[in-house]
Amino acid sequence: MLGYILRRLAMTLPTLLLVALAVFALMRAIPGDPVQLMLGDAADEAQVTALRQRMGLDAPLPLQFARWLGAAAQGDLGQSITNGEPVLPLMAERFQVSAVIVLLAVAAAALVAVPLGLLAAWKQDKTLDVAIVAGATLLLSVPSFWLGLLMLLVFGMKLGWLPVVGYVAFSEDWHQALSYIVLPAVTLTLIEIGVLTRMSRASAIEVLRLEYVTHARAKGASEARVLLRHVLPNAFAPTLTLIGLVLGHLLGGIAVLETVFTLPGLGRLLVDAIFARDYPVVQGCLLFTAVIYVLINLLVDLCYPLFDPRVSAS
Amino acid sequence: MSRSDCRSSCFTAALALACLAGAAQAQQAPLLRARLNADIRSTDPGVNRDANTDGLMAHIVEGLVALKEDTSVGPLVAQRIDVSKDGKTYRFTLRDGLRFHNGAALAAEDVVWTWKRYLNPATNWRCLTEFDGRGITKILSVEAPDAKTVVFTLDKPSALFLTTMARSDCGGSGILHRSSVAADGKWLTPIGSGPFKLGEWKRGQYVELLRFDGYVSRSEPGDGYTGAKKAEVEKVRFLIIPDGAAAKAALISGQLDLVNDLDVADLGEVAGAPQLTVAKAETMSVSAILFQTRDPVLKDVRIRRAIALALDQPTLVRSVTNALSRRNNSAVPGTSPYYNAAQAQGYTYNLAEAKKLLAEAGYAGQPIKLIANKRYAPMFDVSVLTQAMLQQAGIKMEIEVLDWATQLDRYTKGQYQAMSFSYSARLDPSLNYEMFTGPKDTQPRKVWDSPDAQAQLVASMDISDKAKRQAIFDGLHKRMLDEVPLIVLYNGLEITGHSKRLHGYRNWALQQPRLWNVRLAAR
Repeated sequence: MLGYILRRLAMTLPTLLLVALAVFALMRAIPGDPVQLMLGDAADEAQVTALRQRMGLDAPLPLQFARWLGAAAQGDLGQSITNGEPVLPLMAERFQVSAVIVLLAVAAAALVAVPLGLLAAWKQDKTLDVAIVAGATLLLSVPSFWLGLLMLLVFGMKLGWLPVVGYVAFSEDWHQALSYIVLPAVTLTLIEIGVLTRMSRASAIEVLRLEYVTHARAKGASEARVLLRHVLPNAFAPTLTLIGLVLGHLLGGIAVLETVFTLPGLGRLLVDAIFARDYPVVQGCLLFTAVIYVLINLLVDLCYPLFDPRVSAS
Repeated sequence: MSRSDCRSSCFTAALALACLAGAAQAQQAPLLRARLNADIRSTDPGVNRDANTDGLMAHIVEGLVALKEDTSVGPLVAQRIDVSKDGKTYRFTLRDGLRFHNGAALAAEDVVWTWKRYLNPATNWRCLTEFDGRGITKILSVEAPDAKTVVFTLDKPSALFLTTMARSDCGGSGILHRSSVAADGKWLTPIGSGPFKLGEWKRGQYVELLRFDGYVSRSEPGDGYTGAKKAEVEKVRFLIIPDGAAAKAALISGQLDLVNDLDVADLGEVAGAPQLTVAKAETMSVSAILFQTRDPVLKDVRIRRAIALALDQPTLVRSVTNALSRRNNSAVPGTSPYYNAAQAQGYTYNLAEAKKLLAEAGYAGQPIKLIANKRYAPMFDVSVLTQAMLQQAGIKMEIEVLDWATQLDRYTKGQYQAMSFSYSARLDPSLNYEMFTGPKDTQPRKVWDSPDAQAQLVASMDISDKAKRQAIFDGLHKRMLDEVPLIVLYNGLEITGHSKRLHGYRNWALQQPRLWNVRLAAR
């Protein structure tokens, strides 16, 4: 098992190198100068040149890349051009915010969506199935920013139950922290319920058609036992893969929701950095996102045998 | 009096006292919450900065001089300013009793130390180039002949010396205590002498300022960044809320007390909320349509002039600003002391004349690309209306929407035909003209490449006499209208929405919040 994990991790190194190269090249290819953005329209040429030199942006691009990659290999992702903060601690701080919301939302969404999908599959083409599919499609179709704003409007402004802006860390005051993350977490949960329900339903329908399910029914097993003992574990494996992908995607940042709810998360950091052409932060964030993807997928693959005995880690 | 009567009276008296104390406390809310649309860059004034950083730091540090309400300059840390006849020596006498946030007395030596730090290239002070001989002048020495006097010696006189010192982007040349930096020169924290001191900066979330109880105020009435200042609220928290809709929601729901950069589109909704009030002020930013005068089509002044005449500019400005701003074709902002009847002259809508000029120039419908962006909605709105209005004159304008960073890059390199742009506020007409006047060969961002205009501009920077400067600016304005290197359209707006519990808040031309002399009544 350990050998497998190490092999998988070693296989990711070329991927990460490619990601690093692609991100570096893309960021330099798009027009826009971080120094000009920092200094604004009032800056003169001497100021721009001086700041560019100070930041090492006047060096040839291959040299800049080699410097950055060399430092990154030693765990130093550089400093933000915008505010001089070291990128790694900055990302770690912001990641905590995104991670709490994403993990809560995906866990809640999975807890709701998997049984819901199973139920829809069991009642396929009946009224309940149509209602669940319609609800899931609706949730899937609603843009996250719109749903977020709607939540703010109803629960923040009209009812005044929850705060509209701001963030408090759990380590500071868990009670207040909870009040600040309810709305973004619920919004994200609703969106993800749509995706996961569809997947769970599709997998369950497939499993329900298999012979061993018919066999279990023929043996006189109750419908509850058929669903929970025979269908759920086998239908859950594809959903688990999707959960892994969703987690990887969301942990890389939920920029839209973080902007709407004013959360200082990783996604907002990335978006702000792109607009500011803050190269080290963009490069760091995207490399970090790639690492997250790799690790989550590895974790999912390792969990697979638990749900599907046909698959083994070896 | 019986024992029980006595006890009862004592209880009543204690209750009354408690109520009075409570009422006194209840009159003022201890925390004022304002919006920042992005995090500050640093707490090092004038070094790593942007407009948000400048506005916030103005609460913490104070310079020898500061901008008044009309953007002229007045003393702040200085009590008196004496200028030698040749304009090369400035003698600042400091006010009595000034203290830094750490309790240390502010003396002339601190001013000298601060300025030596600013003038050290290693500090990377934004305004270094203005004072080291590359800009307006060169500071030859900064000395403290005694504890209350600081003397600056310049290599040449400059009409802009005090104005540049007071500039927000220079951090107001704020005076710092030397413990603001570590022994190796690394920045630690701002220890200034302003009415607020830095409380906590939670990156990406908020910046909190605390009232400085040892602040020594000037005696004159508050005037811009100078005059009397009193921090009435105990704490100010600038919450970082990038999204305009979220900021508006927070304001309406009472989770913010002040938003000083509302969109024109949000004005109605905020004004309609019974607990809120709206304030508006014209600022010194300049919105304009820039032309690349080396472009094969636009190098012909008749075509540029035709564009200016084909635009119904008062209507355009009314539409873009919701009738809150007025057309101003001058580079000198309407709030400047130099804005007069000559500066008020502008283009008059004349479609027939525009068509005639186009025919004379042989314009045959060649498309002209107008660059705009959607980050700053007014720039985009101007481009849409311009396109529509020019169609009537037969001018084919195509809008190219870019992100702001790309547009700024194109602007800097001069790579455009036409561009809807907004210049940030400059505090003096010389600086206003300087932002677009200069040689394109060495400074491609410059729009107006006219040696005569440049010579006039240089003269305006060296002369201190107001009447002579006014004559230069009036001449430049007339010339600019004739040569049409750009069409200045209007000056920006600051629209503020705030709680009715907030008293004393005033907008001003500099578009920065000032949270001293402001009271927030308790709910």
